[in-house]
Amino acid sequence: MIDIAGIIAEDFLNIAMITLGGVLISLGVHFVPVGGAPAAMAQATGVGTGTVQLAAGAGLTGLVTAGFMMNVTDNMGLIIASGTIGAMIMISVTMLVGQWSYVYGVGCPPASAKVKYDPITKDRQDLYVSQGTEGHGIPTASFVSGIIGAGLGGLGGSMIYFYLLSIENGLPEADFIGIASIFAIGLFFVNAVIPSYNIGGTIEGFHDPKFKRFPKAVLASFIATFLAAIMGVVAIGGM
Amino acid sequence: MEPLTSMGILALMGAAATIAGASEDLESDVGSQSNPNSQVQLAPQMMYPHRIYNKAVSGEPPSNALMCAIGGTTASVLMSTGASVMLALTIGSIIAAVIHGTYSVTSYIGRTASQKRFKQPLYLDLIRTHTPVIMGYAFITTFCILVVSYLMITAMAHPFPLPLLAFIWGIAVGAIGSSTGDVHYGAEREFQNVEFGSGLNAANSGNIVRKAESGLRNGIDNSWFCSKFGGPVTGIAFGMVVFLTGWITVVFDPSISETMGWEAIIAGAVIVLLLAIWNRKIEVDARKAYGPYKKDEEEVAA
Amino acid sequence: MSAGGGSGGAHSAIPQNNIIAFGVIGGLAGIYGAHFLVDMISPYMSFLGALGAICGIVWGASAVRRVANYGLGTGVPSIGMLALGIGIIATTFGLAVGGIAGPVVALIFAALIGLVVGVLANKVLNMGIPIMVQSMIEIAAAGAIAIVGLSTSMIGTFMFFDEVVNGVVVAQGVATGVMTTGYIAVIFIAGGLAILHPYNANLGPDEKQDRTLACAFEKGAIAMIIAGIVATITPLASGAITILIGVAIWYISFSKYYKLVKRDAYMISGAGLLPSKEELE
Repeated sequence: MIDIAGIIAEDFLNIAMITLGGVLISLGVHFVPVGGAPAAMAQATGVGTGTVQLAAGAGLTGLVTAGFMMNVTDNMGLIIASGTIGAMIMISVTMLVGQWSYVYGVGCPPASAKVKYDPITKDRQDLYVSQGTEGHGIPTASFVSGIIGAGLGGLGGSMIYFYLLSIENGLPEADFIGIASIFAIGLFFVNAVIPSYNIGGTIEGFHDPKFKRFPKAVLASFIATFLAAIMGVVAIGGM
Repeated sequence: MEPLTSMGILALMGAAATIAGASEDLESDVGSQSNPNSQVQLAPQMMYPHRIYNKAVSGEPPSNALMCAIGGTTASVLMSTGASVMLALTIGSIIAAVIHGTYSVTSYIGRTASQKRFKQPLYLDLIRTHTPVIMGYAFITTFCILVVSYLMITAMAHPFPLPLLAFIWGIAVGAIGSSTGDVHYGAEREFQNVEFGSGLNAANSGNIVRKAESGLRNGIDNSWFCSKFGGPVTGIAFGMVVFLTGWITVVFDPSISETMGWEAIIAGAVIVLLLAIWNRKIEVDARKAYGPYKKDEEEVAA
Repeated sequence: MSAGGGSGGAHSAIPQNNIIAFGVIGGLAGIYGAHFLVDMISPYMSFLGALGAICGIVWGASAVRRVANYGLGTGVPSIGMLALGIGIIATTFGLAVGGIAGPVVALIFAALIGLVVGVLANKVLNMGIPIMVQSMIEIAAAGAIAIVGLSTSMIGTFMFFDEVVNGVVVAQGVATGVMTTGYIAVIFIAGGLAILHPYNANLGPDEKQDRTLACAFEKGAIAMIIAGIVATITPLASGAITILIGVAIWYISFSKYYKLVKRDAYMISGAGLLPSKEELE
């Protein structure tokens, strides 16, 4: 039988950091500019896919790079930074090529319908929104917001992975890489779906009025992840 | 490993990923999947019945993750019995493609049957002609993703097991495909009947093009169009993701020293910065080239 | 992916409570049956675990159908991914601490996290879907049953740790046999899609419960076949029987599904033109 209380007391730092990772993912998803189904028809600003999908795609790419880094070094900063950078590269490439599709394939300039001026470049937005749409493409503010969001997602995901793998249970790391990574993926999905319910599936980035709702999702993610983190740490700690 | 060897492996991975990305997008265009499919789904309700395959297999990321995970699992089972790598990856991809075919058929017939009140007929010839094409593209995607994952594990010593790594790359290729190439299908191909150069006016929702160069338009016509732009850009995007995320650690190998590891992070940050600048340049150029849609009313009033 | 659903309240011929009973009892019976009968009779009995998983999958698909009918704002797939995310967490924990009660502990803890997420969704995120809490509990628990069931049928046991006698591993546990090898990824996604796909594939105003559930059986059978493929290389589980039974279930449920599609579709045409204007009016 596993000494549950003992493991929780001993690995409380891991539980706390995993919870923090979940909260970071949840916060990060709010930054990722996703227009959902309408954006695929250039009807809404942002990337034309679902919140959960894009956040998961970016965050899990970060997990792959973090997993690779963890194999060659045990410097925590380096592992977490490489997860962050991996996710950031994935989302910037996706947004850039998505932008090609909007500009060259559909022939419309990027524009936001939520704000009159782009908060970063100060460009006028409303004149460039085509008729009957809610904006299209990925203006600079959304692009920067997306990079921040994916970065936070990759950071959170690789933190969860790192702190699961650094639990002391007497086994070599290679024996529970599979568990730690699938557990990180599970937590990633939970923390990507919660904020996507919070924002109703679409958001333009940090300049979107919906962004102000983020404390709610962060609170929800905190509670859910804390519960899950205890379970994960006990399961791996007892191995 | 020798830097030159790992560079070659990385190039091979990038090439395989490029093919995977392109075939992923075309697969979703033949079957009409993911977000643009919302218009295909809506059309009969707006009195526009059509002959387009309504393949609603969840979003692209989960459906591609399923294909790749099945392929990776089967391949890893076969390899543990001593089968050769090529054979294992091929058989894994075939099984994945067949299972993807069943998912496609159930969603086409299911969604069509659920539109009875809009009088959308179910065309059996669409199933016969489109499903093999979908399975073919699914095979190419799965096979290329398995090649990428296998190379990462054996040559680059990535610690994740094959099914898991294939699963993650499946999610990534699906996320990229639905974010990039699908826009070309959803915003342009489905609505070629409206003037080029604007987003879809909400008033036109559901009014998708239903007639083709000859006969009625179907999914294969759509993939022909999207293979000119949407498919290739998706391929470039996924190839770039696989290549760039690997490139930083191949050039600045963190296993040599920690300093090199930090240099890899800096290189990654520089890449992200360059991409952001590139995006800004496209934005400025597009605004200049296309101009605003409406006049500035405040200035006119003044 | 399209935002689903109408104004809420799916019409069901089979009451949800019967399906819950089917999922919980059938699921646990299959999992425990596989676990004990593999020991007592032979590894051939491992297919029972996948049958249990199918019960869980059908239950989950039915719960998705009820909740997604309200329109979640972000498409059907997200809730399936959420369910399996919770399922993975609860299963790892449940099997690790539960020992022989592992599947039950996993089920209870999945339901617990489902409860928390459901309450958070309604109270904190203000989603305001009346059956959200119950549905989250059901979907998460069904996800856990699917994961435990498929794992059991892959390796013939649901014990988390390897059984070691005199320093020699005599039976692999879930931790090494399913998770370290990465097969958990295919369980995650095949189980998840089997739960979310049936309703997603039948989305539309004329969706019928029996047709959606027939599709759930069909997708569950596919998950069973995949579990069988993995079982071919594990000593304490038999792949051949699992694959054969899986193919049989697939064939029966697909035929049933196609029959229901023929019953429900407006018109089935071998090839042909679009309906004429007069017809549409």
